Amino acid sequence: MIELRNVSLKYGNKEILKNVSLTIKDNTIKAILGPSGVGKSTILKLMLGLIKPNSGQVIIDGTDITNMKESSLYSIRRKMGMVFQGNALFDSLTINQNLGFFLRENMNLPEEEVNRRVAEQIQFAGLEGYEDQLPESLSGGMRRRVAIGRALIFKPHMILFDEPTAGLDPVSSKKILSLISALRHNNNLGAVIVTHIIDDVFNVADCVAVLYQGEIIFDDVTEKLHQAQHPFIRSILSDNILEL
Amino acid sequence: MLLTFVRNQEKAILLWLKDFILTMQEFFLFSVRAFLAFPKIKRYWRDVLDQATICGTDSIPIVLVSAISIGSLLAIEVGNLLEDFGAKTMLGRSTSLSVIRELGPLLMGLMLSARYGSRNGSELGAMQISEQIDALRAFGTDPVAKLVMPRLIASLIMFLPLTALSDFAGLHSAAYLAEHYHRLDPGIFWNAVYPRLAPKDFVVGFLKAPVFAIIITLVSSFNGFSARGGTAGVGRATIKGIVVSSGLVLIANFYVSKIVLENM
Repeated sequence: MIELRNVSLKYGNKEILKNVSLTIKDNTIKAILGPSGVGKSTILKLMLGLIKPNSGQVIIDGTDITNMKESSLYSIRRKMGMVFQGNALFDSLTINQNLGFFLRENMNLPEEEVNRRVAEQIQFAGLEGYEDQLPESLSGGMRRRVAIGRALIFKPHMILFDEPTAGLDPVSSKKILSLISALRHNNNLGAVIVTHIIDDVFNVADCVAVLYQGEIIFDDVTEKLHQAQHPFIRSILSDNILEL
Repeated sequence: MLLTFVRNQEKAILLWLKDFILTMQEFFLFSVRAFLAFPKIKRYWRDVLDQATICGTDSIPIVLVSAISIGSLLAIEVGNLLEDFGAKTMLGRSTSLSVIRELGPLLMGLMLSARYGSRNGSELGAMQISEQIDALRAFGTDPVAKLVMPRLIASLIMFLPLTALSDFAGLHSAAYLAEHYHRLDPGIFWNAVYPRLAPKDFVVGFLKAPVFAIIITLVSSFNGFSARGGTAGVGRATIKGIVVSSGLVLIANFYVSKIVLENM
């Protein structure tokens, strides 16, 4: 379980998050919805301990990681897989090497086990035949699937998606969303999805938190979003997509 | 109105000073982390070898070009000057001291600052912008140990033979020009070089190699890690890395010479 308790964050004089509290339970898919540049990706980085809040606590499976040393954070981070908005694949490595990179780096697994897990992810992502290609030769949707495969290879409890369908064509977006749903149903995996696309929320999320001007203005099951009275939520429901 | 202007300037200077001190603090911590990661060399020995090829073997042409050109120029100019005093036989002595103590290591440092420093700054900057460094951290890999430590060790190892090569090429090009331009017998040239070079001359020259390696690698890598703001940010970080490391190489060159020559 991931918990953010009264988290506030400032970049210089700009207040990004104001007293944000969130809970993400295991085996649920939670979406964080909000306009671009509001601090949604920052929340994911806080969950991984990549940045530290000015105040408040970040708790992962009961462990307070807020002021934890970088070296102690590595084991906590492996409980979560992260899919970055730009995929963050290593462009000089092949798909196979990208998928196996962190297993070889951080786990003392025999090479056969690494290869078995890589092959499993290649199959899961439907990338058979592309194993020896560089990321630049793949389409946006394929690269996103490699990034998802890389996040899954550690067998994490929770997977964090930063704008999983941003910049993808409708067919690729649909494939990615089906992949996310399959993860929950087949692998019992929880997920946090940061997005500005409201359709994604209704397609895959069990619950949703809406971030607006640094504050959480809604945090409940997805179905209840239609009943919310906040003017911002009413406006995004009528427009369906946030492009602010 | 004047008072407001003065106050605004004062605020701006204080803000700049605060930023500068914070950056220095971050740079210090970054450097400490890079040195503390040295025990992980067993894990990243392949990266060290890759970097050794990039900063060592691949840098040989530029080091040779700069060493040969400075050796040749010194031989011509100093030879002309010495000829006026009838002291052309001292050409070997004066060029060897200049090449081994000062110009060989300095030019090599500046060339490597441009070549290796720019590569580090742009490569690490691009990785920072595309969140690859965040990805390393997110999946449990220390990016300083993986990306900076191998660069630092490789440059510490490779800058020494590059200095030797630079000295060798500089001296031999000077000897060639002494013989063919100034019509000086090679025996006279080399006789003024070897017996007269003292150990401190080599200490000055070769001590600069690790100092420059540390400056160039850490400054360029730190700037790469600090890149923000898209591709323009990578460009800014790379330029800053080269400018700062070149400036520091010039300053360090002076102080290493001063300290060693005063104490040996």
